[in-house]
Formats: sequence, C-alpha cells, structure tokens
Amino acid sequence: MLQITNLHAEVDGKPILKGLDLAIGAGEVHAIMGPNGAGKSTLAYTLGGRPGYEVTEGSVTFTTPFVPSEVEGRAASDAQRVSTSLDTNGVGEALQTTGGEVAVDLLALAPHERAAAGLFLGFQYPVEIPGVSNVQFLREALNAQRAVRGEPPLSGGDFLKRARAQADALGLAPDMLKRPVNVGFSGGEKKRNEMVQMGIIDPRLAILDETDSGLDIDALRHVGHGINSIMRRPDKAVLLITHYQRLLDYVKPDFVHVLAGGRIVRSGGPELALELEREGYVGVAA
Amino acid sequence: MASLALPSSREEAWRWSDLSALPALAEARPSGAIPAPDVLWIGDGPRLLFVDGVYDPSRSNPGPVEIGPADARAARHPLGRLAGTRGWRLRIGAEHMPSGTIEIVHLGSGGASHLAAEIEIGEDAQASIVESFAGAGWANRATGITLARSGRLMLMRRILGAAGGFTSLADTAEIGTGASLIATTLAAGAGDSRIDAHLTLAGEEAFAEAGGALLARGQQRHDAALVLRHAEPHGQSRQVWRAVADDQATASVAARVEVARDAQKTDAEQSLRGVLLQRTATINAKPELEIFADDVKCAHGCAVGELDRGALFYLNSRGIPPAPARALLTRAFVADALARIGEEAVREVFVADADNWLSNSPFVSSEVETRPSTSLGTNGRD
Ligand SMILES: Nc1ncnc2c1ncn2[C@@H]1O[C@H](COP(=O)(O)OP(=O)(O)OP(=O)(O)O)[C@@H](O)[C@H]1O
Ligand SMILES: [Mg+2]
Repeated sequence: MLQITNLHAEVDGKPILKGLDLAIGAGEVHAIMGPNGAGKSTLAYTLGGRPGYEVTEGSVTFTTPFVPSEVEGRAASDAQRVSTSLDTNGVGEALQTTGGEVAVDLLALAPHERAAAGLFLGFQYPVEIPGVSNVQFLREALNAQRAVRGEPPLSGGDFLKRARAQADALGLAPDMLKRPVNVGFSGGEKKRNEMVQMGIIDPRLAILDETDSGLDIDALRHVGHGINSIMRRPDKAVLLITHYQRLLDYVKPDFVHVLAGGRIVRSGGPELALELEREGYVGVAA
Repeated sequence: MASLALPSSREEAWRWSDLSALPALAEARPSGAIPAPDVLWIGDGPRLLFVDGVYDPSRSNPGPVEIGPADARAARHPLGRLAGTRGWRLRIGAEHMPSGTIEIVHLGSGGASHLAAEIEIGEDAQASIVESFAGAGWANRATGITLARSGRLMLMRRILGAAGGFTSLADTAEIGTGASLIATTLAAGAGDSRIDAHLTLAGEEAFAEAGGALLARGQQRHDAALVLRHAEPHGQSRQVWRAVADDQATASVAARVEVARDAQKTDAEQSLRGVLLQRTATINAKPELEIFADDVKCAHGCAVGELDRGALFYLNSRGIPPAPARALLTRAFVADALARIGEEAVREVFVADADNWLSNSPFVSSEVETRPSTSLGTNGRD
C-alpha cells in the first residue's frame, strides 16, 4: 500500500530524513519507535505534505482505489515514472496494481489530494482552530474528499449521525463536536478528537503520530479499540508512531521499526518493541 | 456641483483614503439601472427604499420613519457636510411600540447621491436599524444620532456596492445616561468605502460599541476612522474590528478612545486585528488612547498577520483544499466582529454576505432593473 524508498527530507534546510526505506502492505499495522528528535514526526509531516518539509531525494508510492478524479491523469503518468525508476532498483513488482487500485506518486499530490486519496495524519500536536466548529470542519473535510472522489456530499443529518456514532465509540462527549476545533480541549481530548475525525473520514492508511501520548488509561483503551475498529481491515493499513508498548498491547503491530538518525535502523516483529522497552535504544539501534 | 472640496491624503485623518474617484462620480449621471432590491430585504418590518438617494414610496413601508429635512450634525465633516439636510428622520419615544427592525436599502445606478439622517431615541425607547448599500456610484450619507436616558439603538450597515463605486458614512452620536449604541458595519462589496464615526458617551454609564469587518481585494480600499469620547464617568466602550485584505487592496482602521478628565471609571476596550491574504495587500491598524482621567481601564489589542499556517495545513491534511481552507479560517476570523449583532436573522445575513465575499462572489444581483431616467432628476444635487 505504501512504498517509501530512499527518502531524504529537509526541514528549513536541515537534513532530517536520510535515506529511509519502508514498505507497508494492505492489512498490516506497523509501529515506528525511536529516540526523541529521530525524525518520526518529520516522516509523518513529509508524507502528509506539510509545507516546509522538502523532499530532496527518494520516492513514495501509495496504492489506493481513491484516485482523485482531478489528478487521475497526473497519477497515472506519475505511477509510470515511479515504475521506471523502481524497475531499475529491481523492486518493480511493488507497483502491480489490481482491483481498480492505482499506484500514485504520493509526493506529487497536494496535501488535500493525499487526504482524498485515503491518507490520514493523526497529529502529535492537534491544532486549535478558534471560530470553526468541529462539526463544520469535519463536514467540510469529508465532503471535500467525497467531491474529489466524485461522490455526492453527505447531508447535514447523515453527517451528524456518523459524527455522533464516532464520538460515542471513542468516549468523546457529543457537545465537544459543536465546540471550536480543539480549542480548550485537554491533551487527551485532542487525541480522542483526532480518532473521532479518523472514524468519520474512514481513511485507507492512517499515520498516527504519538496518538497515545497524554491519554489516561480509559482513553488509551478507547483509542486502541477505535484504531482497531476503524482501521483493522484487510484493505487498510496503519503506521503507529509511539514511544510506549502500552498502545501496542491494544493495537498489535505486525512489524516494529526503529527510526534513528533519519533512517530505519532495525525492523522486527512485535517482540522488538518489548526488547526496546527492556533495553532502550542504545543497545538496539547500535 | 461647482467645486468638490475634498480632504487631501496629506491630512492625517485621511492619509489612508483614496478619494480620487469622487470628483468623476460627482459629475456622472445615474444610469437608472439598479439591482433588484428584493434579495436585500431581511424581515417584514418597516422598510424604506432609496434609489440614487431618492425615496421610492411605492416600494416602501416607512413605519415610524419620516421623509424630510434632517439634521445630521455633520457640518464640520468634509464628506458628511456634502450630505445636506434632506433625508430621513426617526424620532422614537418609549410610548411607541417597538416596530421591529427598520430596514433601509440604498441602491445606486451611478453618479453621486447624498442623504442626511437624524435618529432620536427617547428615554427608555429602543430601535434597531439595518442599512444596506448596493449598486453603482457614490453613496454619501451623514447620520446624527441622539440617545436619551436609557435609550437603545442597534445600527447595522452592510456595504455591498459595486466595483468603481464608493460608500461614505459619517456618524455623529450623543449617548445619554445609561443609554446604549451598538453600531456594526460590514464592508463586503466590490467598491471602496470610508466610515467615520464620532461617538460621545455624554451621560454616566453610557455604553457604545463600534465595530465591524472590512473585506478588501483587488484594488479595493476600506477606511474606518472612529473616535469614541468618554465625557462622563462609568462609561463603557467596545471596538472590535476585523480587516481582511487580499491582492493589492488596503483596509485601514484608526480608532481613538478619548477619556475626559471627568470620565472616571471608564472601561474601554479595543481589538483591531487584520489578516493579509497576500503580502502585496496592506492593512493599517492604528489604536489611539488619549486619557485625561486617572481611574480608568483601557485595554487595547492590535495585531496584523497572515492566516495561521499550522491551521491551514491541518485543514488541508483533512482534505479541505487551499481556497476553502483559507475561506474557513478567514470566516472564523471575521465572525468575532459580526457576533455582536443581536438579531439572529440579521446576523445570519451579514455572515452570508461575508461568506459570499470570501467565496469570491460579492453581492451582484442577478436581475438588473432599469427605471426611466426622468424619475432620477432630484437626487439632492440641485
Ligand atoms: N523547523 C525546524 N528547523 C530545524 N530543525 C527542525 C525543525 N523542525 C524539526 N527540526 C528538527 O528535526 C529533528 C526531528 O524532529 P521530529 O519532530 O521529527 O522528531 P521526533 O522523532 O518526532 O521526536 P519526538 O519523539 O520528540 O516527537 C529534531 O532534531 C528537530 O529539532
Ligand atoms: Mg514527534
């Protein structure tokens, strides 16, 4: 579903990602762990297309059925371009498309197009937006994505039903939906709100940056179950960025990676997270 | 008009205005083609329609408003004095039943129209007025307001004039003991504007609020110049202005609070904020305090910047494209200034006007009606 190859990225001219490789298949949950400042959030922002995060080398291919109609032409030719460059690296098979799915050059898409293509970014620090209510924001977001995919907009009533169901599932008080986006929310409420958004938007690939930080025990359970029920499907995938094993108790990863110095320095199964927790990064990443 | 004496931009109070279009507008003849007024009416209270400054009784239901001589007390204002002494008058006492919101629609077909207004709110009386300005040309208005003890007035203006036109408003108000004036102005058209207000809190515990939103793009210019004078103790004033400028446009707010020696326990707040949608645009915000009393509370905030990039990316990352994301944030930014409009139906209309502007379709009536030009001879310039 996501193929990251030799990704180099700079923030304000400072190289942060230095040749990162990662492949995520459909139905998989991957966890990335790593020391503070390793570049984990930089990876998330770079994949999301945040301005200021400049890719200087490498490629990212996203295989999705949601090809934004307005970028279809671009996507196809980009996919071809990627295909040629990957062929020379001998990993061309990653580009095989089946069942109406297309491999698009993620980096060629604008941030809102990446979202419409099925990418969701859970923020480490969700942004407060005074004066814009959660409901208004999410309805506009969902309908913008639907429009790009050529789907009809959701009516106010249908949208509210969907929003209430998600808030309920994640233990977010329904009146929080009417409040301005994240304004005055506690740290944990902000993270729950990210998951409510994910539930409403129903993405293909979720990159969740420390969604577990700042959550109390109940919230952690809610969020863990939320991630499982929204994302644990054969046609979806999750990339969890986390510092702690406790989220992984709820959302069992298939693969665990260590990101250090801007690269994936080690990969393994779920046991790697336990090893990290026991021994720290010094031994493992060395 | 033999000679149009206009203030020069070298004068401090006029340095952000561009009045250069006015001489030609003053010479021009109205074309007679006006937008259809229907979409501008909000409720079904009293309503008055002025076309090129001429009252149209056939499409009005003036309620308590009288047509005739009016003293706008604008003799010393360089534009206000041009408004003359002819126009409309509202004198309302507590014995009057509240008549619902009074709506006044001013439509222009080109050229210049001048009109004076006089509003007198008696003891314990109250009124609420919406004035809408649309169409072409220069609409010049002067309004004199008096609020007796505990009188209340809500005055809401929407400036929706067409490109190349100009709307100038000059208000003078005396606010009596315990009386309250809330004035909200929205400039969301395609033309230019100049908004002047000189409000005096002339009685104890008077309340004045003057605020609004100025939205400018292209080469547009909006300029608001306000003076709130606290003359007596325990007065309260609020000024909340939001300016948005795109392209090469300029939006300016100069807001002065004066606190006289006797006006102890004054509580004055100013919040002037601007958003530049492009760096080529200009926003001028100038808060001024002149305080002669020693026991007062005056707070002012003033900030001009760009839309929050972090918020923009957050919206984009959820699938909202750049243009609607900017509109959403700008709308939220402007909302503070329109929130003071008490009547929901009116507030919604103002918010919708701002939305139309943000979605790049400021008020343009789909229908244009043409009136015989013979009915347009007397627009106050003779
Ligand atoms: N605007 C910037 N200019 C320069 N350096 C930056 C900028 N933004 C981030 N960095 C640096 O990039 C590096 C990676 O930051 P990033 O936020 O990706 O780390 P992280 O792995 O998410 O860390 P944490 O676990 O603390 O969240 C850090 O050294 C950080 O200081
Ligand atoms: Mg981080």
